Amino acid sequence: MKKTITRNIAITSAIFLIAFSIMLITNYFQVRNANTLEVIEALKQTNEQYSDNPQLQEQIRELDLLARKAYFINLNRLKTGVAILLAMAVVFVISLRICFAKSKDIPNKEIDPIDDWAIQSKARKYIVWIASGLALGGAVFALLTSPHLKKENTQIIIAESISVEQVEQIEQETQPAEELTETSVATEISKITHNAFRGNNSLGLSSAKKIPTSWNLQSGKHILWRVDVPRRGYNSPIINGNKIFFSGADEKTRELFCYELSSGKQLWKLEAKNIPGSPGQPPKTTDDTGLAASSVATNGEVVCAIFGTGDLICADVNGKRLWAKNIGVPDNPYGYASSLIIYENLLIIQYDNHNSPKVIALDLANGNERWSKPRPERNPSWSSPVLAIVNNRPQLILIGNPGVTSYNPNTGEAYWRVEVMSGEPAPSAAYANGTVFVATEYATMAAINAKDGSVLWKSNEILPEIASPVATKDFLFVATSYGVVASFDPQTGKVIKTMDFTADFNASPIIVEDKIYLFCAKGTVYMLSAKGNFTLINSFETGEKTFATPAFTDGKIVVKTEKSIYCVSE
Amino acid sequence: MVQTQSRFPRPDFESGYVYPEQHFFTPNEALWSYIDIALLVLLMGFVAWAVLKKQIRWPVMLTSVISIAYFGFFRHGCVCSIGAVQNVALGLASDSYTISLFVLLLFILPIIFTLFFGRVFCAGVCPIGALQEVVNIKNYKLSKAVTGILSIFPWIYLGFAVLFAVTNNGFIICRYDPFVGIFRLGGELPLLLFGILLLIVSVFTGRPFCRFICPYGAILSLFARVSFRQVKITKKECINCQLCHNACPVDAIRPPYDNIVKENRSTGVKRILRYIVFLPFMVMAGATVMYMLGDKFGKMNEEFQIWSGITGAFIGLVIGLTLINLSTKRTRKYYEIEDTDCVCCGRCFRYCPQNGLSQRREDAK
Repeated sequence: MKKTITRNIAITSAIFLIAFSIMLITNYFQVRNANTLEVIEALKQTNEQYSDNPQLQEQIRELDLLARKAYFINLNRLKTGVAILLAMAVVFVISLRICFAKSKDIPNKEIDPIDDWAIQSKARKYIVWIASGLALGGAVFALLTSPHLKKENTQIIIAESISVEQVEQIEQETQPAEELTETSVATEISKITHNAFRGNNSLGLSSAKKIPTSWNLQSGKHILWRVDVPRRGYNSPIINGNKIFFSGADEKTRELFCYELSSGKQLWKLEAKNIPGSPGQPPKTTDDTGLAASSVATNGEVVCAIFGTGDLICADVNGKRLWAKNIGVPDNPYGYASSLIIYENLLIIQYDNHNSPKVIALDLANGNERWSKPRPERNPSWSSPVLAIVNNRPQLILIGNPGVTSYNPNTGEAYWRVEVMSGEPAPSAAYANGTVFVATEYATMAAINAKDGSVLWKSNEILPEIASPVATKDFLFVATSYGVVASFDPQTGKVIKTMDFTADFNASPIIVEDKIYLFCAKGTVYMLSAKGNFTLINSFETGEKTFATPAFTDGKIVVKTEKSIYCVSE
Repeated sequence: MVQTQSRFPRPDFESGYVYPEQHFFTPNEALWSYIDIALLVLLMGFVAWAVLKKQIRWPVMLTSVISIAYFGFFRHGCVCSIGAVQNVALGLASDSYTISLFVLLLFILPIIFTLFFGRVFCAGVCPIGALQEVVNIKNYKLSKAVTGILSIFPWIYLGFAVLFAVTNNGFIICRYDPFVGIFRLGGELPLLLFGILLLIVSVFTGRPFCRFICPYGAILSLFARVSFRQVKITKKECINCQLCHNACPVDAIRPPYDNIVKENRSTGVKRILRYIVFLPFMVMAGATVMYMLGDKFGKMNEEFQIWSGITGAFIGLVIGLTLINLSTKRTRKYYEIEDTDCVCCGRCFRYCPQNGLSQRREDAK
């Protein structure tokens, strides 16, 4: 009798458990997939268009409240449901135990004969076969995926022991096939690209040739064209083929621009609008940062821009919008400023801010998240990601406060992390010859072994505030915000030479044709020899305040100033 | 809370409303840590007294219920002794990581108890083992040849857990704990489903997690082999009735074996010698393969590769020693407990007619 009762309770509770679990899982997915936030954002945008309609605003408020209520009610249901499920599971287990309290005493039939030796022999055989199979499989897999058998990534160009002379050769060897085809069709267009902030891989090195060494913006000497900047932004221009890309933003509008390199003609512009989750009011930023401080990035097919609102937009190089999304409004004291970088088919975003700092890789084709890693940083940073090749493999290097972290750009796994930074890191990392160099004012300058993350040396003599350092195997070069520029021995950190230009360097130095090109905020250009004793080759005023890092291609420099964007050409 | 925050940002107020600063009540975590340790010792002592001195099972079940309620649902199954393996490994490998005394005690106390009394921690003090114990109804046995292979997995899992911990690449035992979602009444769906699946399997066969996954159980099994006091099925003479053998949920009771010689002695000795000679090669093969695979996990730095090699060597060693162990023959006259596998659940006591007889005599007195 007791057994029958408990058996029936167990069956009933089991049916209840299964049915209730299905309901809860359905509810879980309903809550997870509810797109109420998108509805609210759409309503907000409608409200912005018809801001003088109080009736509509009231309706939006009611809908907003309703959506939030619905969401939290669903969540509460889920929690209550789990508690009920647990209680029912307890009933099920207890009734089952009582039901089988007696019958479990009956001996079970033996699966194995009671012959230890036969069992052991069989187990040994299984282990030997499985272990050998796994070992062999592992060895074959490791050999087949060996980097020596794999074709190296064509986009990453900076090799282990780089020198200024080698940059050109490596970049030419690694140009995408389409680019070469394009070059053969239109011979006047250089194949040397400048695909991101501070050039390809954001390392401050360019293999461009025949770069002008003087120009005059007032007289027009060596100025191919000059146009006004259509919208404010401290971001730096980038070059791919005959196209220049940059962005601009104000309180109302955020745009991505494309100009023709040969003529300065605007080819297209694309507004970042109708993006779900985009805030109605942009976050507060300081005047020296704004909403378009982050430089755009391209791979020659897709170009992407990010703004201080967290809005991200990607288009093909002809201006057709591919996708856009808001990745959350960043909470940075001055404004968001980290530039984008593209690795293979991944768009990589350093999203250091007070709200959930992370590094994100999105699929370039559709914006889907491929990986995302939280960043254990104490404070935001304004630095940008760089890509370096170490032992024939790419490393994504990010500077934060306090950590300098190297990631696998394919998976986001951290290779190493060292905590050497503090303050407000804005400069990005430099890399050469197996060593990563990082520096920021009120913190330190450090050389880190890129293979294992060990700190090789530290120095705090001369530190940059905004401009990123640049390095070759022979020297490390920094430009400070108080006018001092210095070169260091990359092996020891000892100062080779310093010069005081009484200038404020915001733009990062770029090494081209054995010369260091440096623009101060006032607009003065400094050219130093990157060989020998760092002599000043030339210096002249341009007359326009320059904060952005210039972009280089064969025979041309694209300079973006506070007011205009111009092209210098021989 | 986290889900809510990421799903719904705070409403935008254009009227100038400023959100008040939030203050959260900070629990006295130190006090709870003391309670955890005190309860851990108390429960392990209680189980040891029950299974070694009194040979009764109800304290084990009571302990299981307390452990599930307190260490499981109340303390959310974290920090636990199983996960503490990783803290200890990282603490030993890294100069910059300091392991807390609380975590160290969580790791070391069950080992000390095992050294003295067998795996009393596994019996019902570990909430994961306890949960599987209370849902276990039937004990369908698995082929011993298969369980022999599966029992290597906890060692491999231990090797990987240490590898990821010492190279600062995360605590995978915690990350992939299938029961923590159950204790917290929510978590990642795949892990929750895996946990529920393990519990369903536990209904029909004893403790699949403890036997085939738990890396801490693997460590404890080493100490259980040499523990000072070991669990006995009965204090009287075994009558070889086989009832205890059928009752054991973890298949830790070995039947009498007359060592009927299926092969001549010299063949067996040669096999063992062959395995011993090959042991260094197995260690080297494991090290080489894992070193080569080291950079396939997405961690290409040299330190990770070296630790991968060490892990591979460890796995090779475990496989080699398992093969050697499986090549030895032991003669048993009676049903005996394999101390490395026994989790001190006490289920066999009541099944033994000898114990029942003495208990009935005591009752009659």
